[in-house]
Amino acid sequence: MSVQATAGPGGVGRAEHETRVLGEVSEDLREIIGEEYVIDMDIAMESTFSHDLELESIEFVALADRLRERYGEAVDFVGFLATMDVDQVINMQVGEVVRFIVSSLPATETAGRR
Amino acid sequence: MAEVIANGVRLHVQRLESRAGASADSPIVVMVHGMVMDNISSFYFSLGTNLADAGCDVICYDLRGHGRSERTRGGYRLVDSMADLAGLLDALGVDRPVHVIGNSYGATLALAFGLEFTARVASLTLIEPPFLIEGLGKEMARSLSQILVAMNDDEVEQWLANGAGRAAVRTARAAQRLLAETTIATDMLATPPFSAEALAALRVPVLAVYGENSDIIGQAAGLAALVPDCSLIVLEHHTHMVLREATAYLRTLLNWWLFDRRTPPPPYVREDDRSFATPDWVTQMVPPPDLNAGRRPAVG
Repeated sequence: MSVQATAGPGGVGRAEHETRVLGEVSEDLREIIGEEYVIDMDIAMESTFSHDLELESIEFVALADRLRERYGEAVDFVGFLATMDVDQVINMQVGEVVRFIVSSLPATETAGRR
Repeated sequence: MAEVIANGVRLHVQRLESRAGASADSPIVVMVHGMVMDNISSFYFSLGTNLADAGCDVICYDLRGHGRSERTRGGYRLVDSMADLAGLLDALGVDRPVHVIGNSYGATLALAFGLEFTARVASLTLIEPPFLIEGLGKEMARSLSQILVAMNDDEVEQWLANGAGRAAVRTARAAQRLLAETTIATDMLATPPFSAEALAALRVPVLAVYGENSDIIGQAAGLAALVPDCSLIVLEHHTHMVLREATAYLRTLLNWWLFDRRTPPPPYVREDDRSFATPDWVTQMVPPPDLNAGRRPAVG
């Protein structure tokens, strides 16, 4: 899949981009958490990793691992996480990660590798 | 998921580098977490990403039986853990000395590794290491008994069965399985004490960090007295959980230790007005006679 940005930052292109990245992050999250737990779970931009998804900190390590693999060097997850502590990481909303990924990728970037 | 076979065991490893990548002279930093109720994530989020972003080549891993590493039935003696770490460095092709940072039992392991594999170690950072010349195995057993109390308390069990969230249940059940299905408890009891002579001959720089309110603060002075090149930092208002309590300062401290050691260490500035204390049940613990039995040990 390849998505062309059709508008400037904050426009329709960005919204589409965020939707696509949210889908990719959700796919990785479902694999990490396990389908039996997420069957009724709606993963949205506003979902928090700790409260809504009940993610263990080691599961966030696994998520970061998958996202590093998916997006490669274009997305600097190490730098993104470097100034947060574990509570700040786990209390983030999914949308904060999605927006970071979107802001890191060139507007015409193709979808993640997997 | 990065997995490496080291010393015959499947270990979960995360290698972190800055965006620019590590250069030939970047410090290689290996982080070793604590026992039973701990895993790769404590270092990954506290110092791992931070030091990688600062230019280190960071290796975080789950100890045997912990996190996402293989849970073997046996092999939890200190000598096994050292062989696992040496095997990990071999498997990753690390051929120059590394800076080892350990927390709690991981720090005890780091010190033992520095004594046994001195040529492979550039420096040691020991955060709250249980350290004794006599009775170290008993001290390890005491740490385990604290965990057992936390695990087997009836109210805790009820909470796990009914009210606890998925993450808490998974963490607690993993620790229970490790204690029940492996030899870790008896292996810990058999931990040999350190040799004063070997410590006196250690030529590796050591940074030791303790919390002033830690239940094992009494062990800090002995360590600092025996190790020739030891910088001891004691943090006021902090406990054995200093890695989590004082993450921001430890980041500053480790940046100094790895990149700027010729200058004086950065002063500790307390974050907010928070003060941490060790609960009474931790300090009053008595090791149970058989840790594998999973009975609630006597307290007080």
